[in-house]
Amino acid sequence: MADEGFLVVAVAIDENIDEVRSLAENITYPVLMDPDHILTELYAISNVPAVVWIDEEGRIARPNAYEFGSDLLSEFTGRTRAGHFDQIREWVHNGTVPEDASSQIADLSDDEVAARLHFRLAAHLRRNGDEDGASRHFDAAAQLAPLDFTVVRAAMPLQGESPFGEEFFKILAEYEAAGTPFHGIIPASEA
Amino acid sequence: MTTITILGDEVATTTGEWADGRPLVEPDALSAAVGWTLKPEGLCRDDQCVLVGDGSAIRVGDKLDLAAVANAVDQPTVVDPDAGIVVLGQPNATRQAALRDRQAPDFTLADLDGTSHRLSDYAGKKRLLVAFSSW
Repeated sequence: MADEGFLVVAVAIDENIDEVRSLAENITYPVLMDPDHILTELYAISNVPAVVWIDEEGRIARPNAYEFGSDLLSEFTGRTRAGHFDQIREWVHNGTVPEDASSQIADLSDDEVAARLHFRLAAHLRRNGDEDGASRHFDAAAQLAPLDFTVVRAAMPLQGESPFGEEFFKILAEYEAAGTPFHGIIPASEA
Repeated sequence: MTTITILGDEVATTTGEWADGRPLVEPDALSAAVGWTLKPEGLCRDDQCVLVGDGSAIRVGDKLDLAAVANAVDQPTVVDPDAGIVVLGQPNATRQAALRDRQAPDFTLADLDGTSHRLSDYAGKKRLLVAFSSW
C-alpha cells in the first residue's frame, strides 16, 4: 500500500537499539528510536503496541488503539486481530474509519505526566552511570503511575529485571483487576 | 554559580544556581535555556506571549526560576537539585490538542542509522503510527 499515499511509521519506546534492530529486520518503512519516551507524553500512550491513524493533513483519524497487528505489524507483535488490516485498507482506499475512531481518549493525569519525566530523568542518569539516582527516579515514576506499562515495564530491563518475569505478571494482574486502564481503544482481540 | 542541565527535546546546559531546590538563572539566560523570553508583556516565544502578572511567581530576587517559568507556560517539570537537572516536559496543550482536537503532534526522532525523521516529513500521506518495544 506504500505507493497509495500510505506509510507506516514505527516508533520504538525503547533504548535497546540491538533488540529493536532485530525486531525491525527486513522492514523498509521508518523505524525510529524514542529512548526518552517523548511519544508517550505527546500522545498519552500508556502501553504498547499502540497504533494511531494520522491522515494526510496531520489530523488523527483514529486515536490510540491497542492493536495486535495485521500483516503490516505482526513483525513487532507476533499476534494479529482479524479485521484490523481490512479496516486500514478501507481507510486508505475510501477514507472510512471504524465506529470506535470517534472514541475520546482521556488525558494523562498530572501524576502520569510527572511519571514520564521521572522516567526520562532516570534513563538519563542511568546512561551517565548514576545507578542510584536512576533507581530513585524509576521508583518515583512507578509510584506516580504504577499501572502504566511505558513507565513500570519499560524500566524493568533498564534495572536488570526481566520484562517477562514475575514482577511483570504481578503488575499485569493488578492492571487487569483495575479494568485495564489503557489510554485508548482496546478492540475485542483475536489471537 | 553552577551548571544546570536541562532535559528537554535535547540535553542542554545553562549557568545558574540552586536555591532551596529551585533552579535559578539570570533573565538573559532564560531564552537559551527554555526557549521563552521575559518581556514587559509576559513570557514570549515566537509571536505568543503568556501573562505572568507582576512576575512574582517566577522571580527569585533578580533571577528567574526555570521550573516556575515552565509551569507558567504549562510545560511540566521535574527537578533534581542533587543531580543538577531540570526535566522539561512537552507542553500539555500539545497533547490536549491531540486528544481533543485531533491534531497529531509532530516529533523528530532518529532511525536505527541515526538519521532524523519528522512525522511531518510524511505529510500528504496517510500514516499509521505504531508505538512498539522490545520489553
